[in-house]
Amino acid sequence: MLQWVSGIAATIPLAGLLFITVILVVWAIPAIVYSGFTVLTNDRFFIGNFYSTNFSSVNGVIAPFHASYGALTFIIGTLSSSLIALVLAVPISVGGVLMLSEWIPRQLEGPLSTFLELLAGIPSVVFGFWGLTVFGPFLGVHVFPALSHLGVVLPFFKGSWAYNGQGLLTASLVLTLMIIPIIASTTRQLVKRVPVLASEGALALGMTKYEVVRVVTIPYVRTGIIASALLGWGRALGETIAVLLIIGMANNPPANIYGTTSTLASTIAADLDSALSDGTGMALRAMAMLGLLLLIMSLITNLTGRLVVRRISSDALPVGRGV
Amino acid sequence: MNVRRHASIGFAVVTGALLASACGSTSTVTAPPTSAAASASSTPTAAAVQTGNPAAAQTLSEAGSSLLYPYLQKLAPGVNAAFPNITLTPAAGGSGTGQSEALSGTIDLGGSDAYLSAAQVTANPGALNIPIAVSAQAINYNLTGITNLKLSGSVIAQIYEGSITTWNNSAIVALNPGVTLPSTPIIPIRRSDSSGDTFIFTSFLSATNPTWSSGPSFGTTVSWPTVTSELTASGNPAMVDTLHSTPGGIAYVGVSVEGAALVDGLGEVDLENASGSYVQPDTTTITAAVTAGATNVPASLAAPLIYETGAQAYPIVNFEYLIINPSKITSSDTALAVRTFIEWAISSTGGATTDNLNAVGFVPLPTTVIPLVNTAVAQIAG
Repeated sequence: MLQWVSGIAATIPLAGLLFITVILVVWAIPAIVYSGFTVLTNDRFFIGNFYSTNFSSVNGVIAPFHASYGALTFIIGTLSSSLIALVLAVPISVGGVLMLSEWIPRQLEGPLSTFLELLAGIPSVVFGFWGLTVFGPFLGVHVFPALSHLGVVLPFFKGSWAYNGQGLLTASLVLTLMIIPIIASTTRQLVKRVPVLASEGALALGMTKYEVVRVVTIPYVRTGIIASALLGWGRALGETIAVLLIIGMANNPPANIYGTTSTLASTIAADLDSALSDGTGMALRAMAMLGLLLLIMSLITNLTGRLVVRRISSDALPVGRGV
Repeated sequence: MNVRRHASIGFAVVTGALLASACGSTSTVTAPPTSAAASASSTPTAAAVQTGNPAAAQTLSEAGSSLLYPYLQKLAPGVNAAFPNITLTPAAGGSGTGQSEALSGTIDLGGSDAYLSAAQVTANPGALNIPIAVSAQAINYNLTGITNLKLSGSVIAQIYEGSITTWNNSAIVALNPGVTLPSTPIIPIRRSDSSGDTFIFTSFLSATNPTWSSGPSFGTTVSWPTVTSELTASGNPAMVDTLHSTPGGIAYVGVSVEGAALVDGLGEVDLENASGSYVQPDTTTITAAVTAGATNVPASLAAPLIYETGAQAYPIVNFEYLIINPSKITSSDTALAVRTFIEWAISSTGGATTDNLNAVGFVPLPTTVIPLVNTAVAQIAG
């Protein structure tokens, strides 16, 4: 009996993933047949004119008039917003945790790490609301004008922005805040597990605290950091409501780093209700296709991460590899 | 070893069950709707509608349009007081949700700002659009010191297309002689979520601007032209908030939240109607539009009340619908409850009181449409 229960329990996650994937694939097939490879190359996504008496027919699939299911805009939006967030969040989290564990007095460590965990508990809609009403307008009025002056030195900061800050960079910054707790709390657990013997030995050899961190701590936690960064990336890829409120939901790739665009997840949330009133049912298939693309992206990032971790980790204690 | 073998059996059982249910559900979806065909044969003959308190307690589930939702919340206690065996449970969720759940029979009544498309009616023969009230939409702007700005649908379409970009554009100046307009950039604000307000707004743009009509056209979600200065907001209250914080902005807002927009000090556009006069949405102008539009409402009741003629007629007006799929209503008691609720809701002595309607800025159905509604309601037989 116990064997059965544990067998079923062990299977549920895998079966769940398989179930969702099969559903998404089966649902998405007509939309994929309709669009072909242009799904990945066309940046025009439109669920079509439901009230037109005409219909679009491609490869035998009938969809509403003018329907176009190119997902390139959303792929670019999803990747760019999550990657910017990741690039910012990893150094902030790792630096913060090292600071917390090595230099900040023990009495402060507890309260500070509690704050970190509280940050993880803020619901994403609150982040979205704050980003829309407070943070975005602040960036748009005070920060982006200064940043755009940096464009002389760093060309990717050039460009115009929305007055209320809606767009890619604001969304990425809010995503950064959302994934910092994920990366930081995992990193903190790892740093705590660095063998005291190794770091104290290094200190005894006359290394400075900075050298101990560089030569002992960081090599020891490196693979773990990559794994936690991937967790954070996964969260950023799939974040829906905060991005929906902040990124501007434009139907085009961002014109510049401040530009408005949309992501896969936010588009599903925004357009699902309209898709439900499509008499041909194809709009729902297109939504499933976007979901499938998002699932594939998360799987790829996850598997790549695992490969990276396997490549750089070995059985030998990694201490000293940074020397 | 033994444990592993049993575990793998467990795996097979769970996976098999899930996959079987997956295939089952998808094949139901792809199959053509056959059960709905039965109700198509019932032809409307008599307009006399049987109503009354059902013998057993009936709960009418409603979901859909967030614009209609507050009105139905107002009606729920009233209908229960008049007919103790009828309980209305309204919920929001969006017009698309209302349409699809009513068509599939998940709920009894689907609230929708938009009528069903021809493709939906083909897929669900016998499905009904039943208007229960009339709503409208205001166009608001944020320009300090400028009141009674006059705009036409064609100019607004050009703003949302990105071809008119500043407030002192000659096309806007021409509509507002004697008004000094600033050179501020125009920031068009639109809904980011699926919305009945987008449906009626884009219907208006399509009716007044041929380029818009052949381009983005109309729908609860449209393919908006790329305008770099454009902002988006999710929901009517957010439209008002975003417009409030955006000098030079323009936005479309459902009348039920227009009060909030005006309290906020935002300007309300005088819209050019089909007869060339400029009007703001109020009971008089909305009623004028719906009276004009009521003369050519088809039996399907799928009628846009957009850009109607008449000196007083406000150009962005729409029916608020309940979508009903009679073939999914199998119990005669439920059918009686649905008919009774609708007849009560459209009656001026029932739900359509001035108090109820004014609370959300709606106006009652025109009397000429009531017989058509009765004919449609009579088809809900159970």
